[in-house]
Amino acid sequence: MIDLGLSDELSLLRETARGFARDRLRDADRAAEAARAPAAAAREDYAAIGFTGLELPEGAGGADLGALARVLVLEELAAADPGAALALDPLGPALYPLVELGGEAALRELALPLLEAGGRAVLAVDLEGRVRTRGGRAEGSLPWLPADRVDLLVVLGREGACAIREGLEREELRGAGLRAAGASSVCFSGAPLCAAWRDPAAAARALARVRLYLAALLVGTMRASSDFARDYARQRVAFGRPIAHHQALAFLLVDLFAAVEGARVLVHEAAVRLDSGADAREACASAFLEAAEQSLFVTPNGVQVLGGHGFMQDYPVEKWMREARALALLGGGVDAAREDAGRELAGSEPPLALTLAEGAV
Amino acid sequence: MDFRIDAATEQRLAGIRALGRAEIRPLGLEADRLGRPVPPDHPFFRKLVSLGLGRTRWSGDGDARASRGAAAREGSARAALCLAEELAYWDRGVAVSFPGPGLGEPPVLSMGTPEQKERFLGPFREPDRPRWGSFAMTEPGAGSDVAAIRTSARREGGAFVLDGEKSFAANASRADWIVVWATVDPSLGRGGHRAFVVERGTPGLGDFKIERKMGLKAYESTSFTLRACRVPAANLLGGEEHYARRAGFKGALQSFNATRPAIAAMAVGIGRAALDEALRVAREDGRLGDSRVRDRLERGRRRLRVARLLCWRAAWLADHQQPNMVEASLCKAVAPAVALEIASAGMEIAGEAAGRGDALAEKLFRDVKAMDIVEGTGQIQRIVMARHLVGLPRDPGAA
Repeated sequence: MIDLGLSDELSLLRETARGFARDRLRDADRAAEAARAPAAAAREDYAAIGFTGLELPEGAGGADLGALARVLVLEELAAADPGAALALDPLGPALYPLVELGGEAALRELALPLLEAGGRAVLAVDLEGRVRTRGGRAEGSLPWLPADRVDLLVVLGREGACAIREGLEREELRGAGLRAAGASSVCFSGAPLCAAWRDPAAAARALARVRLYLAALLVGTMRASSDFARDYARQRVAFGRPIAHHQALAFLLVDLFAAVEGARVLVHEAAVRLDSGADAREACASAFLEAAEQSLFVTPNGVQVLGGHGFMQDYPVEKWMREARALALLGGGVDAAREDAGRELAGSEPPLALTLAEGAV
Repeated sequence: MDFRIDAATEQRLAGIRALGRAEIRPLGLEADRLGRPVPPDHPFFRKLVSLGLGRTRWSGDGDARASRGAAAREGSARAALCLAEELAYWDRGVAVSFPGPGLGEPPVLSMGTPEQKERFLGPFREPDRPRWGSFAMTEPGAGSDVAAIRTSARREGGAFVLDGEKSFAANASRADWIVVWATVDPSLGRGGHRAFVVERGTPGLGDFKIERKMGLKAYESTSFTLRACRVPAANLLGGEEHYARRAGFKGALQSFNATRPAIAAMAVGIGRAALDEALRVAREDGRLGDSRVRDRLERGRRRLRVARLLCWRAAWLADHQQPNMVEASLCKAVAPAVALEIASAGMEIAGEAAGRGDALAEKLFRDVKAMDIVEGTGQIQRIVMARHLVGLPRDPGAA
């Protein structure tokens, strides 16, 4: 029966992530942005808690907790610093093509050695054929990756994926947002592939998980903005009362809250669907779209509520606005997600039945 | 976390689906075409009663608290939401016209004495024929601001004398009784409110006027007057002691809180019907290749899913006896707007054919608007949420 509660294990995990984010990330966000990396202590704690292996199979030293666990943690981390959330996860969403297309061998040969060496895998979703492969080599250029080091580049396309370790020409960028994760452009011509897989169905599954990962980061980012704006509006006085008590702002704050709650519940539902082994491609595309759309409603309004202060970098809301915008560019972008979800819908027959198990509304 | 519907509820949904396709949807379309409610002597209502519908959920023994607790353990709020959504999918107007104690039931259950429950809900246990109960709070001058009702109740010996006007009460002219809210002293606001069960045929109860509505024509929204209407003191819900114990407003407030997610779920149901119809029309017209059409459909489905999940969460909290004021108002604030958007998009997809006045897409567009108004408008929901979330004072001017 419909149950919106979390198991004790997942509640505890979420509390742990919340505590970590509060103690290690939240107040260090501007420092991490300037340094283009989270502090070393945050990195050590992150690994010590076991966040790195959350979704890895037990055989690979992971906790195998699944997608719901991952999105709960990602939301908490992003609610403090979305750039740091990306930077701290050494495999990040690059894990998904490795698992879905490369299987155990890819984990063993690519992912685990990288974790061992303290490296970072970076994912590029390429739905437009910007990366070309031929004779075991790749060429292409990627205008922005949220990373300052790329020890393993995983390129995920519609038909398959490939992995590149060498021959990458990286140029450091300022980055529009997510600077705590770094920012680079990458060019390569004749870079040797260390692996390449062709499997459109598996690529679609991997893309779904990538989208859900980003959706969770977006939910955390907009939650931070909404919560911060609400607290600020209760303190800030204008025209003789807290600005939150002017109905124009009270209603806006309520709508920001509603946007976050709605996006989150869609993310959770998609995660549960993934964890049940059901087809979650459309659900994940929808969750990403919803999180992207709502975060682009919430985070600019977070700035708006603070007025002039919101525009200044003394407050975090401007950062969350830039970061939500940047996050929603990743994973192939929102238009591709809209296209995928729309095509799936166009292929289904009304009535779209009530049961979610049957994959309807 | 689990987003699956249990087998028992799924089975009941299958029953509604069959009835919906064969009877509810066609009846709703017919009522819309004729511009009048389904008449009380329609054979459909007798059929519903023979199917075991139109009954009270009062079991006849134990107090309301105990039976509510038992229902909660069975996950009743969640199951009720699913059923409400599915009924509204087929026709929300027909769903409201269903026989039964209706919105009058919650106040009788929560406030009524054991004798009153027996008197008023007893006949709904094994109804011999279609019977209706009704609920009347709204007045011409008091909608969302229920504290402003002016219908007066004056004690005279063993009776109360009611005077006033009530508006938009569902099924009132066909009801065996109407729970009428009145005030013994308007200066007391909610503290002066009293709920009376006014029985059909009581002298002074009259001037029933079935309103002409934009949509949802299958059920009657009825206005009526109470003129020197003498109601026995035994019909004061809960008796005098009940109101001495607590503010009269509580009962109404509680029933609103319990029904907001259900109204929101009905909006989702209507929205789903609009989405299905839009998808059908787009396919028939060969327009699914148009990404502008697909994008509208996609957004409709996604937003409906969000709205549904928010409804489920509010109901899940209720089933666990956790406070759900914010969540109940949240889903009620979100769902009707989402459903209206897809209904409007559905008309756009149908194009000029939706302008003829006989298209399902157009009916749904009219029907769904009411969902943002009944049980507290979207604005009222935002005020409720703002009180909880940012401490919005009851009188913003006094802050």
